Amino acid sequence: MAETSARARLILALVLAFGFASVQGLAVLPLVMALSLGVVLAFGAVRVVLRRMRAPLVLVLALTVVLPLISGSTVLAQIGPVALQLEGLQAAALIAGRLLSIVAVTLALLATLSPFDLVAGLRALRVPALMTDLALLTLRYLDEVTAELRRAALARSLRGGMRGWRALPEHARGLATSLIRAQTRSERLWAAMRLRGYGLGAEAETPPLQKFERLAITGAVIVALGVIWLDRIL
Amino acid sequence: MHLPDGIVPVEMALAGYACTAGLVAIALHRIKARPDPQAEIPRVAMLTTVFFAASLVAVPVPPTTVHLMLTGLMGVMLGWFAVPAILVGLFLQAMLFGHGGLTTLGLNGLILCVPALLAFGLWRQIGGRWPDFAAFGAGGGAVLVAVAIFAAIVLTGLPAELDARTERAAVQVFALAHLPLALAEGVIVLTLLRVLRRIEPRLLPHG
Repeated sequence: MAETSARARLILALVLAFGFASVQGLAVLPLVMALSLGVVLAFGAVRVVLRRMRAPLVLVLALTVVLPLISGSTVLAQIGPVALQLEGLQAAALIAGRLLSIVAVTLALLATLSPFDLVAGLRALRVPALMTDLALLTLRYLDEVTAELRRAALARSLRGGMRGWRALPEHARGLATSLIRAQTRSERLWAAMRLRGYGLGAEAETPPLQKFERLAITGAVIVALGVIWLDRIL
Repeated sequence: MHLPDGIVPVEMALAGYACTAGLVAIALHRIKARPDPQAEIPRVAMLTTVFFAASLVAVPVPPTTVHLMLTGLMGVMLGWFAVPAILVGLFLQAMLFGHGGLTTLGLNGLILCVPALLAFGLWRQIGGRWPDFAAFGAGGGAVLVAVAIFAAIVLTGLPAELDARTERAAVQVFALAHLPLALAEGVIVLTLLRVLRRIEPRLLPHG
């Protein structure tokens, strides 16, 4: 599955993510989680998914702790003023299951691509050129600018800069400097882009989807509709 | 402040996509009406990169550190370009760092684009006469508007029924927790725009 194009992966991710997001009952949730695990294994993305799951897992944990305590009317257990409620527990399980499944599928399909392939996929899906050009240029300079801002923050603190609230104006002035530098850099960049013929209308043709990609997308649509149908009848 | 996947019902996520698509269509229409929109792409991209990178760097706001949103500043400096810039940022954050989500991209777009456009409107209306007041309002106000939209979406979208008192308390706690961020962004945007007005007014073409 590694040779699946970015465009096909984006379509697959959208179809499966919206299919899984449509689940409203707990009965289909194990199936949804098994399907997402299948996608993760098929795309050999176990490590990538586990590495980037930290933020969603923290959120799931927070919801699982909070919702059963503040939501619902059927008390399952009570310790002093704290009551564990059935409806809150069900809601937490539903949200956690959906969130983890969607994030796993999205990461398995898209986080394994290079960011530049991802933008090429968006372009192939006819996302406006202005947005894909913005994404490409942002990606191209992101590491450089982030490193520059971190260096500036470190330099400020080494010079014995202010702390707490009083540091904010100093931080703002640093940011202003970065913006001015960005403006100067953008003028050079625009000149270089014009010299390379940017905006003259010579665009690369998008190759058609391969047969196995069309089959995979059809399969994903059937799976998504099947999950929704099962969710409604169970 | 990113809404993750799976929190809200799919109907709401789809409605978010529809509303954001409408917003993008209006923004692109306005952008295309400008004299040479293509020439502005590198400038907008470079500024977006700075906003994106700055939101990744933690800033001390006692008693903790926070990541700035800079939505108001984007609105002031980019005008209608803020809409595509924010969406590009959200998409990259979801894919590169796992913040936000694919199904909630539309709703997250609304949470950030609406305050950015309001900040743009505020700066355009009164930025000339009362620049400091407009800058502080654009920075801090954008955070508060984003918090309000976020809270409304989460409370409407949660599948569990919360009682009215819990709902009110949750909204109050959430808003109070973001007040320091709103103040910090107000101060940062105020200082930053003062510097830019003095040194590089070309960076504020939408004022």
